[in-house]
This record gives sequence, structure tokens and C-alpha cells, in this order.
Amino acid sequence: MNDKPITGEKKVFMTGNEVVAWAALAAGAEVMFGYPITPQNEIMHYWTRLAPKYGRKFLQTEDELSAGFTLIGGVLAGKKAFTATAGPGNVLMQEPMSMAEAMRIPTVAVIQQRGGPSTATVIYSQQEVNLTCFGGNGEGLRVVYSTSSHQELFDYTIKAFNTAWKYRFPTFVLADGYQAKMRESLVIYDPFEKMEMVEPEPFVGKPGTPGVDRKPAHLRNAYSVEEELYEALSKDIADYEKAVPELVEHESFNTEESELLVIAHGVVYRSAAMAVKELAEEGRKVGYFRPITLRPFPQEQLKEAARKAKQILVVESAYGQLYRLVRENLYGADIPLKTMFMPGVGITPEEVREKCVALLDGKEA
Amino acid sequence: MVEILPKMPKSWNPESKPHKFCPGCGHGLVLKALGQAIDELGIQDRVVFGCDIGCSLLSWDFFNVDTVQTHHGRTTPVMVGIKRANPNLVVVAYMGDGGGYAIGSQHLVNAATRNEKITCILVNNTNYAMTGGQMAPTTMPGQKTETTPYGRDVEETGYPMLGPEMVAAITREGAYAARGSVAKFAQLKKYIKKALENQMAGRGFSFVEALSTCPTNWRTNAAQTWQFIEETMTKYFPLGEFKVPEGKED
Amino acid sequence: MLSHQKLPPRIVEAYVGEYASGKSENAINRALDLARLGRKVTLVDLDLVEPFYTLRPIKKELQELGIDVLAWETGQTFGLGETGNILKPEVRWVLRRQGDIILDVGYGVGGVRVLNLIEGAWEDPDLRIYAVINIARPFNSTVEEVVEYVKTLGRVDGLINNSHLGNQTDLEFIQEGARIVAAAAKVLGIPVIATAVADDLAGFKGERDCLGHPIRVLHRFMPHAFW
Repeated sequence: MNDKPITGEKKVFMTGNEVVAWAALAAGAEVMFGYPITPQNEIMHYWTRLAPKYGRKFLQTEDELSAGFTLIGGVLAGKKAFTATAGPGNVLMQEPMSMAEAMRIPTVAVIQQRGGPSTATVIYSQQEVNLTCFGGNGEGLRVVYSTSSHQELFDYTIKAFNTAWKYRFPTFVLADGYQAKMRESLVIYDPFEKMEMVEPEPFVGKPGTPGVDRKPAHLRNAYSVEEELYEALSKDIADYEKAVPELVEHESFNTEESELLVIAHGVVYRSAAMAVKELAEEGRKVGYFRPITLRPFPQEQLKEAARKAKQILVVESAYGQLYRLVRENLYGADIPLKTMFMPGVGITPEEVREKCVALLDGKEA
Repeated sequence: MVEILPKMPKSWNPESKPHKFCPGCGHGLVLKALGQAIDELGIQDRVVFGCDIGCSLLSWDFFNVDTVQTHHGRTTPVMVGIKRANPNLVVVAYMGDGGGYAIGSQHLVNAATRNEKITCILVNNTNYAMTGGQMAPTTMPGQKTETTPYGRDVEETGYPMLGPEMVAAITREGAYAARGSVAKFAQLKKYIKKALENQMAGRGFSFVEALSTCPTNWRTNAAQTWQFIEETMTKYFPLGEFKVPEGKED
Repeated sequence: MLSHQKLPPRIVEAYVGEYASGKSENAINRALDLARLGRKVTLVDLDLVEPFYTLRPIKKELQELGIDVLAWETGQTFGLGETGNILKPEVRWVLRRQGDIILDVGYGVGGVRVLNLIEGAWEDPDLRIYAVINIARPFNSTVEEVVEYVKTLGRVDGLINNSHLGNQTDLEFIQEGARIVAAAAKVLGIPVIATAVADDLAGFKGERDCLGHPIRVLHRFMPHAFW
């Protein structure tokens, strides 16, 4: 049995779903729990092909509730475990993720967004931003990485395991059906050769007899009184806030020179970046800001990037889910916010360009 | 010679005693049977106990064993995940009739079908006690609850669920399914112990339903409580083993 | 270039292979090349694991280029693979059609067993099954992997070297693919049918690769198979 799925670096040509399976394998994930749903199925197809070759496990559960809760069980027993889902499956996944959030259980979930509400199309969508960042009956103490390429899918799936285990907040890789099915080349590598990988540890079943050699683990998220919950939650919120500066990631371009700042994330950012770079080369005063972490949101970085902007354009394949994050994080800035909302459909560079030109030329208010 | 057992099982957590169940509640007896079984099998160091939402939640610090309180109905999958990740552990999913037969029934059915090597103990007290006495999947025909104020109408809401019979029907050789009662403690303990041993032997899914008392919501005195569990309930929910691995019959 | 003289009167080819190995691209280009010679060609979508993804969006475009395409159209489907209408009924009888038949088979554990769904496939004397190999694909990157993988497919009559890295492909990579595919073909006892090269790859317009396999020039359709 092989131990290392990848040694050194290797250039490959894959679809996004396969990339996720390889990344989880490379990161040392030991077990995947999941329930089939388009457009993430190939993650499971490839994980189940690869897992036995490397001594890894898989369980196809009865639904996403079970996928999430068996995932929690696997993590509690000390395994690097993960799941993947989409759309209505992500809705069901919110219950176990709420438990993970409340009990600081380091889960990793890959979300391949699809059209909504409820069940719908399976390619273009950025409509699971609200759900993934803030789903569940809690405060959204999660980490959400929005990827835009296969290289990022690989890098951030690996990173998600480290983030989850280091900070102990549920961690999500948020992509979409397009990234899932798209084909492009990337470099896969053994992360153990490149970076420090955070090792998992068990929450239950540690050596010794509980009550005799050690204290028993009594894990819960039920509390008797509001004050008790408040105390526990306040500690978690403080931990989260403390981690924010270490967690936030973004990318920006030409913000010093730009009068128009375009904000987009995920695969839509790719279109936006192409359009903005083309316009900038033509001498137009335009730049972009792309949050990589949607949760926590790179607030300070956005404020800095927007300092010179006279107007901002938010572009997304959703009806204002990124926009709400931007508005909240730019509170107090006196800059007009323009929008390009295309819920559940794709956005081309040409479309972004056209909108930018109209805004720059003052032809659109 | 009669062996005198200690009053409190060794695997119990003395710091959380006296426990928090109502007077006359059967949970304490089910957990005593489980505690004694853990002691006798010498597995306190490798049991992971999972408790559901509902009255079973009150057992979250009941034992000196590693314990996870989960969400309503979700104890079975959490224990499945733990067991699969570390097969050396002995996992117990402890739940009420709502958690096992209603909101989490898909997990029970599928864990049984997959022959997961876990032990489920389900407490049947014919109502949702913690939320104030509503109808449960196990509420008896004609029984009054807060959501069946005129008595459970089986035309409207069906008949009580027969869990161990269902588990026996959907599992293959290696599984264990039984129904005990807190009114027959020695038998209940024997079933629970067999269910744990079955998991430890790696044979298969092990399920014990425990008929239990809820005088608080039944609004019964001691005699009436005993009469309800021993006579009324057992007419519908027969005690006994419904599936026993080969060679493990009494 | 293809010429009439060398070709049999009826061509039936099934393109199989690893996920994203370039099956559809090779099948489409083969169909179009044959059509350009004035032949009647039917291209068939036989991807049952990931239906609707490759040929559906470009069906009309391909038909305008002179081939008949048996694939669902967007308006005929519901939920794009979320529902049950995967196999188009007329696909079952496609070998009764006149002219050349090019079958674009999807990936999946079934391998070439998918041809069981086509009436008369195994009795068809003209059927050739070609596995498309891209050595940039993880399960296909060494001679041993290619051999092992092709064996899992079932009957395969030839290999096509389709090694590429998308728009980062270079000549050396294609030639390396040719070497690996040729070595695997030798072990398997089947021929290498061709090396496929994208038409935007400047400087590689020869008729043969480094090992003398014929070159098939591919015009890439997948990048604008915009779902």
C-alpha cells in the first residue's frame, strides 16, 4: 500500500472535482463521509477510486445530515476527515456544521455551489455564500475560502485541513459547479514536503480510564441557562476575532490608481480580473478587490483598497450575497456601490467590461 | 453465594449524582443497567457514549466515560463516525423514541442496514417528555398527550412504531435486536450486555429498546406507573429478543 | 490529412478513456474530419456518468458543421442530469443508421460495457474502440498506469495519444506522451492509432509524431462548450 499519493511536484490536467479528491488525499485526509449530489459527485468518484490504494476510507451515508454527523464522529475520534456537498445538501449540512461550530470541531467541507433556491441548476451559482458563511443557528464562526482556479482548489483544500485543525472552526472550500467541471492544468504536490501540516488529535478515546487516569471528555453544546451559553460563545467569538488577522486573505490590483473598484469572488473574479486588467492596460482607472476568505471577511484590506475609489462595482452570480458582505464591511465609507447581479448564471469578462466602461464613462448611474 | 453489587456502577460519574431525571423516571434504571454492563465487561476505558436531545440529554455527564451530546436524532451517525474512525472503541448511541424513530429514523434504518458495529439503546416512554409530553412515534393507541388531547387516533396518526421488530426485519446475520423493560431490570441488563458484546465481537448492529416509565407526563402515581409499563405497554410492545446472532441464543 | 482512398466504406469508432482525457474533443474532431470528406457522419453522446456536459451545449454548432449529433438539447432535458433522462432512446439503434458512427463514451467504472446498450455493437464488424490517453491525467501518467487502466476498460482496439496540459502544452510533453502511449500499446498488443495535437500549437504541423504515429489535428471545442 502506498503512503504518499504524490511525491514532489507534478503538472497535471484535471477537473475541479478531481483536484479536490487529490488535495484531500495529499493533505492526509483519512476518511470521507458523503452523500451524492451534483455537481460534486466526481469528488466521491475519485476519492473512492483513490482511497483504497492509500489505505483511506469512505462512507456513503443516507443523507447530508448523516454525512455531516458521521464526519463529526470521525473527527472526534481523531481522524482528518472531510465531506463535500452542494445546494440542498448544503442546507442539510448546516445542522451538523452548527454542532461543529458550537463544539469547536475541526470539520472540512467542500461546497460546489449550484443554482437555487432549493434544487435547481448545477453549473453557475454563487448563491450559497449566505448559507456557507452564516448557515445554522449560530454566529457564523467559520472559515470560508472562495477559490477561482484549480490551483487554488488544490492549495485551499489542503489549507482547509490545517486551518480547521489549528483554529478549530468549521472550514469550507467554496467553489461552484463550473469550477467542479472545468478542466485546466495545475501543479499538484506533497504538502508535507512544503509546509507544516497540522496533525489531528482525538477528542474521545484517549489513553487511560476516564475518571481514574484522566478526566472524561464530556462534550456538549447544550447549556442550562442563557448566561452559560453566552459565556461559552463569548470565548469562541473572542478566539475567532483574535484569529481574524491571521485568517483573512484577499487579492487586489491597481487599487492605488483606480476610480472604479470592481469587487468579485470565486470564478466570477476571474472574469472581473480579465476585464479590469484589459481596461487598465488601455489606461482606464480601474482596479479590483477579491476576497479569498469570505468569512472572516478582509475588512481592513477592503477599506484600504477602496480608499481612492469614486465608485465600486460588485459583480456576482447571486442577488447581492457578496454585496451584503461588502456593504457591511465598508460601513462608513462614502462611496457609491453599483451592482451587477446575475443570480445562478455565468458572467463573462465581456459583460464585466461593458459594465465597467459604462460606469467609467458616466453613462450609467 | 449472592454477589452484592456496589450501589453505584463504577463507570458512573459520582460528581453528577444524584442525577437530574424526574422521580420515577426509567432513564436512571436504563443507565444503571448500562453502567453495570460496562463494569462487568471492563470497558470503561474504551466506551464512547453519545446522547441525544430530549430527556436522554440529561445523561451527558452521567458516566466517567467519554461522552458526546449530539443533536436531536443525530447520535447514531456521530457514533457511526467514531466507530469507523476508531474501531477499537465501544460506542453507545443513547436516544429516546423521538430521536430514534422520528427525526433520526433514517439514521437508525441505514445504520442497521449497513450493519454498523455500534450499539443503540433507545428509551421508549410513549411520549416526548422533555418538550412537555407530546405524541411520540411510540404513543399508545388512545393515549392522551399534549398533541393528542383526545387520545391518539390511529386513523390519523398511525400505530406505534415497533423498533426492534423493524431492526430484526432489515438486518442480516450478526445483528442483535431486543426489547427490555425497566420493570424487568435483570433481563434489560442482560440484553444491553449482549448488545455490547455483540459490538465488541464485531458481529454487527446491536439494538435494544428499553420500555421506560414517565410518571411525570403520564400523570401517574407509582402503582399506576407500574401498571402502565407492565400491562398496557407490553401488550403492544412485547419483551424479548428479536434477532440474536447464531450461537448467542439463551 | 485524411483522404478517401485509405478509408473503409463505413467507420464505427467508440472513444473511451479516463475522465477529461479528451474523448469528446477527439470524437468531435474525428466526426468533422470525416464529414469534410463528404461522408455522412453521426456523432453520439454516450456519456452516462456525467451526461449533458460536453456535446449538449455545442450540438447546434456541430450540426451546422455538417454532422448529425445524437445528444440531448437543452430544451429537451430537465435538470441536466438531476433527473432520469440520460440515454437518448434513438442512441440504442444508432448502428442501424447509414454512414459513419462516432461514439463519445463517458468515463466510469462500466468501461466499454456501455456499448451493451447499443443494439448490435458487439456483432458490428466495423466497430473499433479507441482509448484516449492523456499522460497529464493522474491514472494515466506512466506506462504501467496506462496498461492497468486500459485493461479495466474491457475490449480496446487501439490507443490515441492525447497528452496535453490545456493551454500550457508544449511539444516535448506531447512527444513524451507518444513514448508512454506507444510503450503501453506494445504491452497491450494493440496499435497506437494517432497522436492528437491542438491546432493552436504553433510549430507542430507535421504528419507524424516522433515515433511515426499519424497526427490528428484537433480544433478545440470544449473551452467554449459553455455550460
